[in-house]
Amino acid sequence: MDVDASPDDIAQKLTSAGLEVEAVENLGEKFDKFVVGYVKNVVKHPKADKLSLCDVEIADGAVIRVVCGAPNVAAGQKVPVALVGALIPSNMHDPEGKPFTIARAKIRGEESNGMICAESELGLSQDAAGIMVLKDSARVGMPLSEYLGMDDVAFEIGVTPNRPDCLGHIGVAREIASAYGVPLTLPAAPVTENQNDPVAAAAVVRVENSADCPRYAARVVKNVTIGPSPGWMQDRLTVAGVRPINAVVDVTNYVMLEYNQPLHAFDYDRLAGHTIVVKTALPGEKFTTLDGKERPLPENALMICDAERAVAVAGVMGGQNSEITSATVNILLESAYFNPVSVRKTSKQLGLSTDASYRFERGIDPSATVEAVNRAASLIAEIAGGAVCAGVIDEYPAPVEVKRVRVRPSRVNQILGTAIAPQEITGYFTSIGIGVTSAREDEIECTIPAWRPDIEQEIDLVEEVARLHGFSNIEDKMVSEIDFSNKYVSAATTDRVRTWLADNGFNEIVSNSLLDEATAAMFSDKLVKLMNPISKEQSVMRPNLLVSLLQTVVHNSHYGTDSMRVFEMGRGFTVAHPAETDVVIPGFRERDLTGICLTGKAAAQTWFGAERAVDIFDMKGVVSALLNKIALDKYRFIYYDGQDALTDQRVGVEINGVYAGYFGRVAAEICRKLKIETGVFVAELSFDALDERERVFRQYVPVLKYPVVERDAAFIVANDVPSSSIEATIRESGGILLRSVELFDLFEGKSVGEGMKSVAYALRFASAERTLTETEIEHVMNAVIAAVTTNHRAVLRAVETK
Amino acid sequence: MAQTTAQSLHTAIHTLREELAGAFAAVTTQADAESFRITYLSRNGKVAALFESMKSLPGPDKPVFGKLLNELKKSVEATFAEIASRIEAASASTASRVDLTLPGRTLPLGSIHPVTQTLNEIKSIFVAMGFDIADGPEIEDDYHNFEALNFHPHHPARDMQDTFFVSKDVLLRTHTSPVQIRTMKKQKPPIRTIMPGRVYRNEAISARSYCTFHQVEGLYVDKNVSFSELKGTLVAFAKQFYGSDINYKFRPSYFPFTEPSLEMDISCFLCKGKGCRICKQSGFLEVLGAGMVHPNVLRNVGIDPEEYSGYAFGMGIDRTALLRHGINDIRLLFENDVRFLRQF
Repeated sequence: MDVDASPDDIAQKLTSAGLEVEAVENLGEKFDKFVVGYVKNVVKHPKADKLSLCDVEIADGAVIRVVCGAPNVAAGQKVPVALVGALIPSNMHDPEGKPFTIARAKIRGEESNGMICAESELGLSQDAAGIMVLKDSARVGMPLSEYLGMDDVAFEIGVTPNRPDCLGHIGVAREIASAYGVPLTLPAAPVTENQNDPVAAAAVVRVENSADCPRYAARVVKNVTIGPSPGWMQDRLTVAGVRPINAVVDVTNYVMLEYNQPLHAFDYDRLAGHTIVVKTALPGEKFTTLDGKERPLPENALMICDAERAVAVAGVMGGQNSEITSATVNILLESAYFNPVSVRKTSKQLGLSTDASYRFERGIDPSATVEAVNRAASLIAEIAGGAVCAGVIDEYPAPVEVKRVRVRPSRVNQILGTAIAPQEITGYFTSIGIGVTSAREDEIECTIPAWRPDIEQEIDLVEEVARLHGFSNIEDKMVSEIDFSNKYVSAATTDRVRTWLADNGFNEIVSNSLLDEATAAMFSDKLVKLMNPISKEQSVMRPNLLVSLLQTVVHNSHYGTDSMRVFEMGRGFTVAHPAETDVVIPGFRERDLTGICLTGKAAAQTWFGAERAVDIFDMKGVVSALLNKIALDKYRFIYYDGQDALTDQRVGVEINGVYAGYFGRVAAEICRKLKIETGVFVAELSFDALDERERVFRQYVPVLKYPVVERDAAFIVANDVPSSSIEATIRESGGILLRSVELFDLFEGKSVGEGMKSVAYALRFASAERTLTETEIEHVMNAVIAAVTTNHRAVLRAVETK
Repeated sequence: MAQTTAQSLHTAIHTLREELAGAFAAVTTQADAESFRITYLSRNGKVAALFESMKSLPGPDKPVFGKLLNELKKSVEATFAEIASRIEAASASTASRVDLTLPGRTLPLGSIHPVTQTLNEIKSIFVAMGFDIADGPEIEDDYHNFEALNFHPHHPARDMQDTFFVSKDVLLRTHTSPVQIRTMKKQKPPIRTIMPGRVYRNEAISARSYCTFHQVEGLYVDKNVSFSELKGTLVAFAKQFYGSDINYKFRPSYFPFTEPSLEMDISCFLCKGKGCRICKQSGFLEVLGAGMVHPNVLRNVGIDPEEYSGYAFGMGIDRTALLRHGINDIRLLFENDVRFLRQF
């Protein structure tokens, strides 16, 4: 492929085609300020026997003086020169080989303006015996990276799961060729075969499970030499993140990177009967993979076996019993197409993901099997010697059918909102190897290349058109029609509650809904537990918001914050009985809750007032005001006696006649276990009972035009009589003229007697029609006093007129 | 008592006038004012004494002097009232001087969590475009979270979302996309809804990732909804949310439940596209993923893909909140340190 474009331009084109380039690495960069130099003249250093003074030409006519300590330096050599500012990756004179930067220096009184380098100093090899001498053909002044052929660029691409073809270099090259409109030529793989040694006589392949192994190709190469692969191959593998091992293994990896076809090389002589059988593992079978681990095989794992035993887990990893060693002489190369689901299941169950399994489970190209094994055999013969047996074994019991997909240009343009001509569409298809068998105005029929398992239906071809046409060439249209048919109501209550709380001094929190089981168990015995938690600390779901509020109190106390007003709006999760049908996911209940928490000081010590600790009436005030605002007075408090596991003061809340939560003081036992030292007051409310769609507007009540008359009445009553019931009696007996009742004084003490309390109420009377007379008020007050004294065995202490 | 004559009364008035000039000047305190009043304006004061002496004047002189003395009295009283009120005002302001620099009686300041603030802004933009709001369960089944969204049971794309399971087929939703399925099963097109909510990923907690976070998903299904319109809507949103001066670009991407799929990048709003640590020198930030609802997904919910088409989009809220507020550690969002929360 011949493309004349900058790396950045290529990166941008790939990204626009859906292959996101995450990084571009200029491999020549480490040889910045390294050039080819010509040694013109060498003289001995006047003060040091082992040093020489060299005049080195580093560009046309530019000569620098360099002090050199190498014994092999001589006039007339072409050498690698590090100029001032170059970074030497490894300093041979430093015990740890630390890198250093070349600077202008005086060495034993003689000026030096650079360094002639050894191979070890360039990080090219371990050879530190003397300077590296370059070929005579090297041009003076040429960047060293260019001379070394290391001026390459590496692209790091994030390949999405739908494009397995781009896990190989050929797939990416195909996209680049399409983007630049140039032809793509694949590497030729001419195999020189030993015609006297036919593969049919050398090995047998039998596929017993053709569903999981539709195709299995093999070649045999004899008399190979197991040694390191050449430097260029090692360099390329290293750049691609693959560790070089030996020539044979390196070739299988190299071809895998090219063709996206994982290959495996077996030691031919360790395959019993020189036979390959592809079949399903036996129940309870164990196998030692080449990483030395013995693994129990999952049920239905596809195995590669010889005549006697398993030798590889198909598509995942080879076995120790047949791996290539330094003693290997003959090899059998496997190039197969395995069923993606089968490989994925086995890999998941083994907990073993390899470069091979990653590719197989995404779907490789079943049509490239033979081509890849030919390429590998030819490369092995080239670099590791050996003779390739004549012929290739190609067991293809279940040929993969060529997919035919039709696409309507009208549909393409409807989905994309474009007007792309049919000819343009077929042009895009053919540029990436999609065959066009017939093209009419209204329908294009395509054959899908086998390397594109993701293309199955019309929409997949619409996507190909979109990305090849370029997203930036599709107009950003905005339909101007505004649709008011949808009413934004569902979230309105929570928004109002949140705003009210924030406006009234509460900080909204957002907590992790996962927590440790021991803490959560204090709050519920119906916990939702994770099967695969990250850690013990996040292993169950919170059953309510109370636990999150308390964790927040604990967390803040560690930082010295003891006073808090916080709230959270989120969910509590519990398991539900299978018989509970009012849940979305059977067996699990989720509740939308609002949790409110007050702790520490209600008021701090200030210049105008003393500090005061929060108590239950602060929380009651908050909840009452919130409900008055949000629930339009359609709520009721239910007073409980005593305590439960979570609270030791507790008031229930009903909204529209439905239980909607509670507020209270957190039980001392819970606080003790969580090491909370202050009193904590919480509310947990659900607003589900408030149906926003039925929200009525508050109705106006005329304001009074006539004067209001006030009377105070104080009673002494037993201290276990609830204030709310006295108030109820007053309201009832006060009738229509009584406008409001307010408790304004409360005390107990010797003056009122043991077990008694004094309660004083302010009563306001008025009529909507006239000014009330003294007599009328007297009459009502008498009724009120009579009712309170009889209903509550109270004694009137005083009546006062204001 | 000596006989008063017109002459002597004249002299007396003149003398008093001169005396008064000095006496007025001497009044600086309330005590001075009181002694002045007693000396001159009381019943036995010097002004009253002149009226008294006028009584023995010969008849015809009386009205003349009466008028003269009345004018004198009025003028003295007026001047005195003015001086007295000035003294009173001065003394009153001394007594009630307040240190206005004292702190005011504070009201507690609440705050809305930065994640909620960010979400609220996103919501308000889409609500203005006519989107409704929907929600679904956080504990979800495999069908809604994966299968109906075109992730078959062995789909490699499942690896993109590390999943918490509570049973074999029940999990914590890994994205808000299952709400798309629930919405489309419940409602017939046209559907125009956004779906905010909390999602979970089985990832170790660090400064950059957390096991729970928030997303907002959008869905529009109707006749003739196109990719072009999806792009237009996203651009309109991004300009509202990130600012009308941003640059943006779309890249092809892959999600099993949309096709074609895209990711949208916008110019980094911190460095204005110049390149910084946050945008990894690229000048762009990935902000959302989107695409045309896959026909398989429409078929799964009983909508005919030949008749209807639709788009869907989704974005993370937490990371946006971090960027907007310059927060460098996602864990701060869930620790609920009150000193952190009070800043918003």
